[in-house]
Amino acid sequence: MFRIMRRFRRAAGATAVLAVIALTANACADEDSAGAGGGDGSEIHIGAWLPLTGSTAAYGGPQKAGADAYFKMLNASGGINGRKVRWTVKDNAGDPQQTVQIARELVGQDDVVAIVNANGTSQAEAAFPFVLDQSKVPVLNEVGGSESWFEPPRPGLFGTQTLYEDQAAAIAAWAVQDGAKKITVVHSDPAAFVNVAEQVEPVAKKLDPSVEVDRVSVKYQTTDYTPVISKVKAADTQAVILILTSPEAAAFVKEAKLQGLDLPTYAYAPVAAESTVSLAKDAAEGLKAVQLVKAPSDSDPAVKEFRTAMAEYEPDETAGFLALWGWSNAKVFAEIAKTIKGPVTSQSITAAYEKASKVDPGVSPVMSFSASNHLGTRSVQRVVVENGVWTSVGDFYTPPARD
Amino acid sequence: MSQFLLVLVSGVASGAVYGLMGLGLVIIYRATDVVNFAMASLATLGLYVAVSLHDRGVATVVGVLAAIAITVAAGMLVRETVIRPLGQGQLFSALVVTMGVSLIAESVAGSIWGDQPKAFPNLVDGTVRWSGAALPVQSLVTIAVAAVAMALVGYLFARTTLGSAMRAAAESADTARVIGLSSQRLARISWALGLGLAALAACLYAPRSGLVPTALVAPLFRAFAGIFLGGLTSMYGAVLGGLTIGVLDNLAANYVSASFRDTFVFSFTVLVLLIRPQGMFGTRTFQRV
Repeated sequence: MFRIMRRFRRAAGATAVLAVIALTANACADEDSAGAGGGDGSEIHIGAWLPLTGSTAAYGGPQKAGADAYFKMLNASGGINGRKVRWTVKDNAGDPQQTVQIARELVGQDDVVAIVNANGTSQAEAAFPFVLDQSKVPVLNEVGGSESWFEPPRPGLFGTQTLYEDQAAAIAAWAVQDGAKKITVVHSDPAAFVNVAEQVEPVAKKLDPSVEVDRVSVKYQTTDYTPVISKVKAADTQAVILILTSPEAAAFVKEAKLQGLDLPTYAYAPVAAESTVSLAKDAAEGLKAVQLVKAPSDSDPAVKEFRTAMAEYEPDETAGFLALWGWSNAKVFAEIAKTIKGPVTSQSITAAYEKASKVDPGVSPVMSFSASNHLGTRSVQRVVVENGVWTSVGDFYTPPARD
Repeated sequence: MSQFLLVLVSGVASGAVYGLMGLGLVIIYRATDVVNFAMASLATLGLYVAVSLHDRGVATVVGVLAAIAITVAAGMLVRETVIRPLGQGQLFSALVVTMGVSLIAESVAGSIWGDQPKAFPNLVDGTVRWSGAALPVQSLVTIAVAAVAMALVGYLFARTTLGSAMRAAAESADTARVIGLSSQRLARISWALGLGLAALAACLYAPRSGLVPTALVAPLFRAFAGIFLGGLTSMYGAVLGGLTIGVLDNLAANYVSASFRDTFVFSFTVLVLLIRPQGMFGTRTFQRV
């Protein structure tokens, strides 16, 4: 009996050790986009850090799948001017320190010519001194970013994502255009959310000086919104703007439905995710939001191409918003890289971005860059939940300028 | 009045979850001197199994039972393979090991089920109107289920031979051994009971929060606050501490600030511990020098 127990313990211990080794190995593995090989001039080698594990892995995985699908499709049709794209992705687990190490590997060992389609604001900022300043390798189309990245323009840093502040301006304008005279902004309490929430009032008042805006700050990652809904009800407001994460927004709309709060509700892009609908279910019906891309369900040919490529190259991943972000960023890079005559280097890519105007990825707004403008767009797509699916409303929309 | 009632019921429901989880922590701590940080992550594995079953058309109640069974099985595996070999009285080593197990369990959950948030089904849908307030039936069921579970645990420890043996072993493992009680068997039962309560608490909490690998970190944090408030060695203290945390949390969010709910609750906890370091129901221990 004791022998059996001892064997059982040994086996279980060994299994646990193997599980740890397997997980570690999985987390440490580099992943290259398929269809490209070698390190010669026949390919364009770019890299990225993405959170494929850790608390923000829900963003990294789909983003990678979307970009992978695009690069595989591109390589299958000959690549960029005959050169295939090799996109090396390394898992930073959302950790800035790990990102710095990964940046050294990508730039120092792998000799990538650019960081393309990576993810994370603080993570990228940790790597900027080495990548941008010391190595002069451009960082392109990062998911994340802030106003300070582009005002003033920083050499080698180019973005394709409408700033959160402009997203807030867009939803403020939408609520005012819908006739709201009193708006309540419900936002998480970290500074990153507060800064965005503060953009609502000036834009709303710019469009209609009689509009009243108040704010309700909520502890980050709150799951019980009963007291918050009570406060919103007591405020006698006409529209609600959510600057929350997707699970928080889902908790808000679920509780609002339970308490009979039926107000037009608007949100910024992080809320316009499939997870909001899957968590809130029918409580999400009618929720309005802005997005960086068209709805993945859209009938637009460019979105159809995305869905087809996802089905072919990444059949295990959902063709959702996050995957479409990755796809869009990959496509913008490819469209600009196609304009390069001669060798594709860090310098030639930077020069090509500075000359790139009216780059139309189809799935996201038309992008224009210049030497003095490193942020490609300020526009957003309005989307609304209809029959449990995010649906595009109209065309891309540029919000009023913020002061 | 209706607003106060809503906030109160919601707070009691949250507090019941923290209380159940805290009760599980205290039972395991008293029996084996292990502060089990892995409890919430192991319960998360159970939740994922329950969701997978639900997605295949299995009834929610069966999913909940499966979650409890999986959590208990995973917990027993952890105890037998990495906790028991440490030996008795290794409080800090065991603490670190359970933290490690917690991280591994979260990674395993993320690897198998992915990191995208998943919805966990309500046990019961709908609302009931009382004094003008629409009270979610799920909250009332949470309170009822937690109350029944706590009452059963109370009965087990107060009125049964097994409960008496578990209390005796918790007081003095050596003395219990002298009178013929198997301390290892009782420790195993305590782990199973503690993890079962944690899994039940997780199933009551998850419909509100959704499910990600780290979904139960926040309630575990509050359960810990509850057991320190109530007294680390007191089962009544764990329950009442959890309830106090849940209710105060919601009242603070409603009447003070939704942003400072944690600050308010933990300030209160610190204040209580300053006045009464052993917690509300804990007993102060003295050692002969």
